[in-house]
Amino acid sequence: MSSQDSTILPVLRATTTAEAGDSRERLQKEVVALFEELREPLLRYLASFGLALPDGEEVLQEVFLSLFQHLDRGKSRENLRGWLFRVAHNLALKRRHRNRRDLEAQAEPGVGDLAIEPGPNPEDQMVRSQTQRRLLAVIQALPEQDRRCLFLRAEGLRYREIAGILDMSLGAVSLSLARSLARIARSAER
Amino acid sequence: MKYEDSHLSDQQLLLEIENELTGYDEKLVHAHLDTCWKCRTRRQELETAIADFVHSRQQEFDSKIPPAAGPRALLKARLAQLAASEPSGLLSWHGLDRRFAWALAATICGLLAVVSFLVRPGLNRSRKPATIVSIPDSRLTPGAALLLSRQTVCAQANTKNKAVPVALQRRVFEEYGIVGEPRAYEVDYLITPALGGADDIHNLWPHSYSATVWNAQVKDALEDRLREMVCDGSLDLAEAQRAIASNWIAAYKKYFHTDEPLLTHRQERIQ
Repeated sequence: MSSQDSTILPVLRATTTAEAGDSRERLQKEVVALFEELREPLLRYLASFGLALPDGEEVLQEVFLSLFQHLDRGKSRENLRGWLFRVAHNLALKRRHRNRRDLEAQAEPGVGDLAIEPGPNPEDQMVRSQTQRRLLAVIQALPEQDRRCLFLRAEGLRYREIAGILDMSLGAVSLSLARSLARIARSAER
Repeated sequence: MKYEDSHLSDQQLLLEIENELTGYDEKLVHAHLDTCWKCRTRRQELETAIADFVHSRQQEFDSKIPPAAGPRALLKARLAQLAASEPSGLLSWHGLDRRFAWALAATICGLLAVVSFLVRPGLNRSRKPATIVSIPDSRLTPGAALLLSRQTVCAQANTKNKAVPVALQRRVFEEYGIVGEPRAYEVDYLITPALGGADDIHNLWPHSYSATVWNAQVKDALEDRLREMVCDGSLDLAEAQRAIASNWIAAYKKYFHTDEPLLTHRQERIQ
């Protein structure tokens, strides 16, 4: 079966129920638009929890269903991007905990393994440059909180948003990022 | 802070790079950088580290994340189900007085506990036991299809009665709250694999053997008809999948131009 064949498309029911008003339809469209905009950054962030891509996709579905409920209940629309990352963060921790419980024998995949596809890919391993491996090793060795800061910043979140998601002070965020980048810079000197 | 006498820290340099400095600090840092080559060099090293990191992430992820079409369609389907199954936001928790809402929630929980104890002792899910006759529950079985072209579908054999793995069958029964009498049902594909239907829980449902009119044989006949139309080019594959997933009985009536199953299709069951 080709890789194309493995993509599953749900078949939508053509009708909407009578009680689903225009506002809910607009809300659904808004949520889908945000999904399209932020799916990739969120998937990359979820991968930093060692979640394989299918797990990450499932977590994302939960995240955006929660967003729909959040907005449907008239809750705050302020900084939805930060909200989405925070919810994704919390759900990823839960999923990772569950996965670990299910597969206790399996070691936690680190950043170096970023389990986009299960199992090693020899071609990728060959292509991956020396610099790439060195960098991954440095990042993998970072404390978990520092990695989170770095990944969130890489996805474009500002310091204040990162502080909110990870429940840290602004100063702690900048210190963490500076520490991580210093390590990366130091590794390049070797 | 005195920036004139000592060099800037990595943290200060990063805040400057990131445009996160404000007011007085910003002025002092810039003044220091204007005069200090060492700090400017360090600033450059940190920027290079950022670039290395970003490049590394691009190498790691780009081209590995599959297209959004499948997950997006799944999300749309789930949102539609959620919107249809949940009360409107206006009537939701936040529209109610908190104390009243708590009391209401407590009462509902109590009632649910009593009902589940009386009606379905031993069942581990709160769904009502479904009396499935002919139509699947669209919330549980919206239908799911593989991304296949018409040519691919038509080049494949017209597979019938493809076996569903036992574990998946068990999950379907569990989803539908069927306990004790699974032998009364056949786990059936809503969209047949012969039309690109997927081996996915969203595409499987328990079709009751007790259905006498709109039974599995009648559905088989519809599947053959749709496949025929798709392969001779008179019907779009996606349209066929949608028709069968939305309401296969309505699709049968539409494509056979009849309100009742044709005798020949019913007779296949008798034989």
